Amino acid sequence: MSDVTLTIDGRRVTVPEGTTIWDAAQTLGIDIPVLCHDPRLDPVGVCRVCAVDVGERTLPAACVRAVSPDMEVRTDTQEILAHRRVLTELLLADQPAVSQREQTTGDDKLYALAREVKVTDIPWPDQSERQPRGQDASSPVIAVDHQACIMCDRCVRACDDIQHNDVITRTGKGYSARIAFDLDVPMGESSCVSCGECVAVCPTGALTHQSLATTDAG
Amino acid sequence: MKQFADSANATFSDLTETATLCPYCGVGCALNYGSDSEGVIHYAKGRDGASNAGRLCVKGRYGFDYAAHPQRLTRPLIRRDDAYPRGPLSTFSRANSSGPRKPGGIVDYAEVLPHFREATWEEALERAASGLAKVRDTHGAHALAGFGSAKGSNEEAYLFQKFIRTVLGTNNVDHCTRLCHASSVYALIEGIGSGAVTNVVRDVENAEVAVIAGCNPTANHPVAASFMKQAAAKGTGLLAVNVRRPGMASYCEQYCQITPGSDVAFYNAVMHVIIAEDLHDQAFINQRTEGFEALAKAVKPYTPEAAEAMTGVPAAQITAFARRLGQAQSAMFFWGMGISQHVFGTDNARCLIALALLTGNIGRPGTGLHPLRGQNNVQGASDAGLVPMYYPGYQAVSDASVRERFEQLWNVSLPEQPGLTTAEITHAALEGEIRGLYCMGENPFLSDPDMNQVRKALSSLDCLVVQDLFITETAEFADVILPASAFMEKRGTFTNTDRRVQIGRPVRQPPGQARQDWHILRDLAQRLGHDWDYADESAVFDEFVQAAPLYANLTYDRLGEHGRWYPCPDANSEGERVLFGDQFPIGRGRFVPAELGQAPDLPDDDYPLVLNTGRQLEHWHTGVMTRRSRALDALAPEARVEVHPSDAKRLGITDGSWTTLRSRRGAVEVQAHITRDVALGTLFLPMHFREAAANLLTTPELDPFGKIPQFKICAVALAPLSTPLTPPQPDAVSHAAG
Repeated sequence: MSDVTLTIDGRRVTVPEGTTIWDAAQTLGIDIPVLCHDPRLDPVGVCRVCAVDVGERTLPAACVRAVSPDMEVRTDTQEILAHRRVLTELLLADQPAVSQREQTTGDDKLYALAREVKVTDIPWPDQSERQPRGQDASSPVIAVDHQACIMCDRCVRACDDIQHNDVITRTGKGYSARIAFDLDVPMGESSCVSCGECVAVCPTGALTHQSLATTDAG
Repeated sequence: MKQFADSANATFSDLTETATLCPYCGVGCALNYGSDSEGVIHYAKGRDGASNAGRLCVKGRYGFDYAAHPQRLTRPLIRRDDAYPRGPLSTFSRANSSGPRKPGGIVDYAEVLPHFREATWEEALERAASGLAKVRDTHGAHALAGFGSAKGSNEEAYLFQKFIRTVLGTNNVDHCTRLCHASSVYALIEGIGSGAVTNVVRDVENAEVAVIAGCNPTANHPVAASFMKQAAAKGTGLLAVNVRRPGMASYCEQYCQITPGSDVAFYNAVMHVIIAEDLHDQAFINQRTEGFEALAKAVKPYTPEAAEAMTGVPAAQITAFARRLGQAQSAMFFWGMGISQHVFGTDNARCLIALALLTGNIGRPGTGLHPLRGQNNVQGASDAGLVPMYYPGYQAVSDASVRERFEQLWNVSLPEQPGLTTAEITHAALEGEIRGLYCMGENPFLSDPDMNQVRKALSSLDCLVVQDLFITETAEFADVILPASAFMEKRGTFTNTDRRVQIGRPVRQPPGQARQDWHILRDLAQRLGHDWDYADESAVFDEFVQAAPLYANLTYDRLGEHGRWYPCPDANSEGERVLFGDQFPIGRGRFVPAELGQAPDLPDDDYPLVLNTGRQLEHWHTGVMTRRSRALDALAPEARVEVHPSDAKRLGITDGSWTTLRSRRGAVEVQAHITRDVALGTLFLPMHFREAAANLLTTPELDPFGKIPQFKICAVALAPLSTPLTPPQPDAVSHAAG
């Protein structure tokens, strides 16, 4: 496999053919924000937060777009920053007021991104009151809050491709689309083996550890 | 307009993440515990370890809270004078049967604790030391024995066996490896000269096929299982052989369900086909092995048709299995307790080793022998000499020159006589030959076969010292209970199933006056006149490495956060993943033919079914840890006996209904779970639940070589529970009350 040389934010880098822009940027120490991607997972490019400017009509997602020779990538133009900020606002629009993830493991990537891009006001409609997306507390160890889910697909890939338990899937359409367990049964009644890999990869408060203090009388 | 609510939780600003390990199984997953300044663990996160690549299972992810359980012992305890004669103290432990009308859950402190009084360390150590010394002076050193633990670190295992050998003066020291892979280790040392795995789990991704024999990795080694499943998704052909359908069967090309105890017939038939169809690796056999002719002769009568009658597996399936394995360029062999826990466990393991030698599948990437080790440090505890026949590093006690070397190293004279194994120690106690026992982190009352005999054995002792986190069922019999430290309270090295030596680090302090296990050992040794002095755990490790050349080139500094494999050929090496590429430690590998044996305790008209015992995903061994984990206890609060639907229908048993399960030794009452995972005529009962204690039923017969009990076969009768039930007693010490 041959190598490809390209430029990212004015810096030249040579990587093997087939490398994604996101991975190439990592080798330069450029951290392109992303919510749906994790190096342990195959990228799917659904959150679009990692969109970059390669001089095309549209902005490709860096996590899935492979590098090409002499590509000129910009990761921090005004357009990119505006794009990233609007996407973040849209994802935040119907998030719960408090991130359950920040209360349990303290690593909510969406909230961290919101702080990074300095979101203050969210000028988009909040559907959550008219059409709440629901919670599932049936598992003694994993709390599911569909309201906090951004459909990034990380949990589905973690369950299928890392742990190979094949429990989590997607169901519904449009705003009612959500993750589901087996044939859409409550998580606690599904074939879930509680490995917690989905919680580990979830970037928001959608899948979090149940507080151990509330699973029992003690 | 909605505002962004910046909800960053201030309590997380003072959390520290400590790089350590999972305390449970032999996979040895690396993880970080996030803990606060009080030592409260908030979460476990997978770390990029060599064996887990960031993954964890339910036990590692959620089972860490047992260390903070309110039942933790915080002061040394001494048995009150009116609690003699020695015997079990709780209603549960006194009963020779168990079930819903007997107390379940964990030990009821309200019932047991009044029989003990709190003592100072000074008094407790004096009582322990003088009790053991009195037995030694009255009955001789061989009337003493020690049970160490494969849950302790290498340093603790090393010091424990050193204590028993040098301070007490006997080789009667063993631990729970005897109950899991003793027969595998015997067969491996005999066949290739090394008891450890020849290749690591994750190399399954390089294997064309992998045999998953007598093990249930999705429940017992879940993270290892995830790599097997991943390999299968990328083309590795998994071939499972079991009496009970393992979760892995869904990912296998072929699953052969054999009848209990017929493993030798199955593998002999596979070898028969491989030889008959010329699929064996003649070059490997010529260059690397001896004894092929005897093996070929021994497997000759095991035609697939003959084996079909013995194993219940259709001849065509056996042939297909043999061809897939024989034609593969590379094959790995994983096995578990379904192979080892038989009176012919050694023969079962010999067959798998012969199969690997026959097909030339040792010493290359994607090949190898891998008995999946159970406890997090079962490999290390054996390496450290926590077994009666070997000093650290598998150096035979019976070898006079070895003994001399250890006498010099330890500056004592050592006993010549090899010691007794776990179950032999129990049997010897019944005969009155063992009078004193020191038990560190083991719970033989629940873990050893035939509980009614174990109860008698423990009751008969003159001295029992128990060192543990909780009052275990075994500790009910103790003179002295010494409060010890949990995994997440100690620093030490742990050797996983892959031979990877990794450091566990403390994230919290032992509660109250509880102490580090190795400090207790050191203090007892000093009290008995031995000048033990170690600066810290790494100094103990260095002495262990000096004693065991097996661990050469390893030090705490070099192990760092990620550990290394042993053997480690030089100071800069990561250690060796794949062993024996050129030759075996004994030169040529040995084919050891095996004939199908007859299990004791087979079914008859009165006891028509075969009971299999084992583990389940959410729990761990005798439940001392996992039943004190709120998450794990909530996920799996009850024992269930697995019954085939046709047996259930015939016996009038429905899913969830109460049954009586009776063997020739005892009875338990337990709810039924109807499933086709078990074959017709067989049952499965997990070993973790004392209210349905599997070992009330099991038989004490041992494998003649590995001395491992036959946990996998005992004849039982199953019937619906006829008498109306009073509701199960609520656990008197609930989590809230305890």
